[in-house]
Amino acid sequence: MRFILGLILTVMLSVSSNAQMNKIEFEEYTLDNGLHVILHQDQSTPIVAVSVMYHVGSKNEKPDRTGFAHFFEHLLFEGSENIDRGEYDTYVESAGGTLNANTTYDRTYYFEILPSNQLELGLWLESERMLHAKVEQVGIETQREVVKEERRLRVENQPYGTVVQESMKRMFKQHPYQWPVIGYMEHLNAAEEADYKNFYKDFYVPNNAILSIAGDIDIDQAKAWINQYFGSIPRGEGDVYRPSIIEPELGGEIRDTVYDNIQLPAVIQTYRIPAQGTEDFYAVSMLSTLLSQGASSRLNKSLVDDQQKALFVGSFPFELEDPGVAIAFAICNMGQDPSVVEAAMDAEIDRVKNEVIPDEEFQKLRNQIENDFVSSNSRVAGIAESLANYKMYYGDTNLINSEIEKYLAVTKEEIMEAAKKYYSKDNRVVLYYLPKPVDQP
Amino acid sequence: MKYLLYICLGLFLVNCTPKVAEQVQEQPATDNKAWRAQAPEAAPARAIKMGEYNVFDLDNGLKVIVVENHKLPRVSYQLSLRNLPVMEGDQVGYQGFAGSLMSRGTSTKSKADIDKAIDFIGASMNTSPNGVFGSSLTKHQDKLLSIMTDVLYNPSFPQEEFEKLKTQALSGIQTAKTDPNTMAGNVASVVNYGTNHPYGEVQTEETLNNIQLDNCVAYYETYFKPNNAYLTIVGDITPEQAKSTAMKYFGGWEAGDVPEHNYEMPSKPSGPRVCIANKDGAVQSVIRITYPVELKPGSEGVMAASVMNSILGGGIFSGRLMQNLREDKAYTYGARSSLSSDRLVGSFNASASVRNEVTDSSVHEFIYEMERIANEPVDEADLQLAKNSMGGGFARSLESPQTIARFARNIVRYNLPQDYYETYLSRLEAITVADIQNAAKTFVTPGNANIVVVGSKDDIAENLMQYDGDGEIEYFDAFGKKLDPNAAAIPPGVTAETVITNYLNAIGGMDKIKGLNTMELHYSMAIMGQDMKVDIYKKAPNKMAMTIGNATMVMQESKFDGTTAYAGAMGQGQTATEGPVFDQVKNQAPMFNQLNYLGDEYSIELKSIEDVDGASCYKVAVTHPDGTVSTEFYDVKSNLLIREVATQEAGPGNVMTITQDYKDYKEVEGGITLPHKNVTTGAMPVPIEMIATSLKVNSEVDDSMFVIE
Repeated sequence: MRFILGLILTVMLSVSSNAQMNKIEFEEYTLDNGLHVILHQDQSTPIVAVSVMYHVGSKNEKPDRTGFAHFFEHLLFEGSENIDRGEYDTYVESAGGTLNANTTYDRTYYFEILPSNQLELGLWLESERMLHAKVEQVGIETQREVVKEERRLRVENQPYGTVVQESMKRMFKQHPYQWPVIGYMEHLNAAEEADYKNFYKDFYVPNNAILSIAGDIDIDQAKAWINQYFGSIPRGEGDVYRPSIIEPELGGEIRDTVYDNIQLPAVIQTYRIPAQGTEDFYAVSMLSTLLSQGASSRLNKSLVDDQQKALFVGSFPFELEDPGVAIAFAICNMGQDPSVVEAAMDAEIDRVKNEVIPDEEFQKLRNQIENDFVSSNSRVAGIAESLANYKMYYGDTNLINSEIEKYLAVTKEEIMEAAKKYYSKDNRVVLYYLPKPVDQP
Repeated sequence: MKYLLYICLGLFLVNCTPKVAEQVQEQPATDNKAWRAQAPEAAPARAIKMGEYNVFDLDNGLKVIVVENHKLPRVSYQLSLRNLPVMEGDQVGYQGFAGSLMSRGTSTKSKADIDKAIDFIGASMNTSPNGVFGSSLTKHQDKLLSIMTDVLYNPSFPQEEFEKLKTQALSGIQTAKTDPNTMAGNVASVVNYGTNHPYGEVQTEETLNNIQLDNCVAYYETYFKPNNAYLTIVGDITPEQAKSTAMKYFGGWEAGDVPEHNYEMPSKPSGPRVCIANKDGAVQSVIRITYPVELKPGSEGVMAASVMNSILGGGIFSGRLMQNLREDKAYTYGARSSLSSDRLVGSFNASASVRNEVTDSSVHEFIYEMERIANEPVDEADLQLAKNSMGGGFARSLESPQTIARFARNIVRYNLPQDYYETYLSRLEAITVADIQNAAKTFVTPGNANIVVVGSKDDIAENLMQYDGDGEIEYFDAFGKKLDPNAAAIPPGVTAETVITNYLNAIGGMDKIKGLNTMELHYSMAIMGQDMKVDIYKKAPNKMAMTIGNATMVMQESKFDGTTAYAGAMGQGQTATEGPVFDQVKNQAPMFNQLNYLGDEYSIELKSIEDVDGASCYKVAVTHPDGTVSTEFYDVKSNLLIREVATQEAGPGNVMTITQDYKDYKEVEGGITLPHKNVTTGAMPVPIEMIATSLKVNSEVDDSMFVIE
């Protein structure tokens, strides 16, 4: 992303519930050129979120151009035929709005949040980006350096900043999830003019995008403007490249040590799990919640509180379009040996495999899930993104109202089964993060 | 009391885009050229309703603020204390402990009970030295409140939880030693406010170790009083329901006297002052240009100061710092500034993370932009952009009911006019170019600024010298403790030989050391959770036997009988009369190797004076007869050896750096002073601590100990 690269280190339970919450109403349709449009009206505050989600992320990159999708996201703020360099920001900020974008393994997302009377400005800006973005050499060189600073800031100069990169690299040998979204330095340097042209032509086309708008809008007026600004953008030629690579089984546990500029060792266990939206994914997600959400969760209670072996623990599945991973990690307390900490983590995971979850704890889990769903969708910006997500990945926008049922359908036995099936030694990468030995003074 | 705030945003946000098109009507969608060339015009703006809030007092002095919002079936309760910050002295961190401990046990519940009860209803609750926050679905609010009020009224401050918290805090603070932003924050706190101000206090291992449980309890008992608190209730609740809920749960809370505190206003540095905290191996420098400012919330200059900061580098992407350092120079991912108001003292901060080689150039650009805004009037267009952006941000923030609650709390807390936020946009729009200039002259003072840089000293320090007023860079450790600039100067007359001689004198003197016949050293240690013991026997002139094992078996063994060395593990071993194993074992045989340093076989060199964990030390490089080099650190004050660093081959292309720290020196019977705690770092993933169980000299040691079979 442009200002913030979310390496999806947080669990994104951006969904909603049938419990007590207000249903999110929306309208959706597809233009002739393939652009899918989603509209949600909420007039409580006179603001509007205008967003475009492109179905392209780092997994669509060539192996010798890693980081390109994210780099390209930076470049698409450089201007268009009608917008000069730097003007994206001034248009939006002059209008009292804010703008940003972010890139993940699977998609790239651009948005503006504007006063609602500036909806048309937002549509114009996004249509310019889709129709005829313009990238000049000065912008390319500048953003190349900016992205490298972003990489230094978030990865290289950050304690534990390489955890995701190092885990995914060992977990995937064929699938493009093996490289980091922000890419590798040498590939950032190698990008050439033809790369930009092709990437834009291949992926930044209306039939590979969702326009999602939420906020204080007049639906009819919005539709008219959408037709005006986006209707004539030509459909992309040919099919959009989507990797069909199926990663073979891991074939046994992989263990390694990474030395980092840190003070406390950490244990990182990464497990292969199914793609988001599958039944097993929901079970794995519940399992992660059981392990680490809240102070009474299994890993927190056991490792942090009772045994005092870890300072901090966490577990979460990556929500990925193709089969991906879940991570369980612990930052060791001072003087605690990582192998001892790992044994304690394994003991908790084994307990899920071998003992039925008590009724009360299972109820707690469901209450936590309900709370998370009901609490999401408090802001129009989040609603616009969730709507686009559900349509892009699941083809079912209404999951914004109904996905909680999929979580609540998961049984205790299914959580046990998921633990046995996916949280096994043969299916994981284990990394020890250790302090770099001090240089000789 | 009930306030209703209405604002018309529209007045201020029209005609502000740089290119405004003629009104675009329905255009033929196929012609992409002409009508697309210009940005569309804004539609008429809608007036926004700012949201309502109620304020009332309970008899015990608790002030309650209620914001009703039924969008989600949730409600939150925030209890916040009103008092000014209280200094923590040599126990920095104790107030944080007091806050945490409140939810770690009550007279009827353990920490586990509390955690379980909160998680069971999917709620969240947090206690801090400034109050208690809880939030849940509306249907669970009574359960939430009963737990919240239990921790508020009946915390039991269990000793066991206190110890746990201390261990965790001591672990947590380790990360502060390498996290560049924490390091910069620590240094900035100290240089901006000084250590005699609550904002200048920094947590260290030392202050955490000093914390006493009594102090935590006293803090809770003194400050958690209803007449010293606000209760803010936000969400799915009516004012009437809120009133009866507040009465029910907080009405019986007893009032009490709360002491007041006053602090002197910290002052800016008299000139530009470069302050460096070294971070070895850093690939970026964190730059923070910062100083204290006198800016109280709601004071007259706040609005102009805030708009001025926005133009310079606050919030927006169009800010000058972002445009210059990122979009033009590509030095950084982001450069920003902030100008904060505060009840005690505000602060100015301009910061960025930049790659090492452009650290000085970045400081140059920061200063350039700071001088420019202070010396040149801003363009009307820049001013208008900043106003529009801030007005828009204000409007967006109103989407959250918590914003309304915060506004209401600020009005009562800072005694602001009732219509302070209602008039926000009109006051914003009234700011002129001259106001900006005045604000910049008052608040942007690059000539009186702390230039805090955290980075790789060797790569950046020299080029930063030019920005320091007196040309002398000050150095700080990760916690903002100033390092002695003269520490590096070795006093005249001190040589490697005098350092070694002083050491030998300090541990007992040449005569006693030369008179030693035997040494018998026993230690305990824990490795991988196993208790182990180390037993070492030495006999003059150079015999040695060492075993490492547990209660039942010997796991490692080494011996030197004067001519032959033996090293073995788990029954497998080798003897040697030359080579690395021989040298390594033989080196351990003398009682005190330092005696030999003064002879011809060794060469020693005094390198410098360096800081080792806060102690100033002579650094001596020792070249051993086998050619290996180790580095030893002798305390300048005590003359004792406190650290030894050596590298060791640990396989092809893999060199391990092993650091031995010697601590807890005590005299043993026989008049020799020995360390009773040895910590080895680098040999294993975690430091190994050897604790002396028995150290003897000149005891009976049988020669058979040293026989190699």
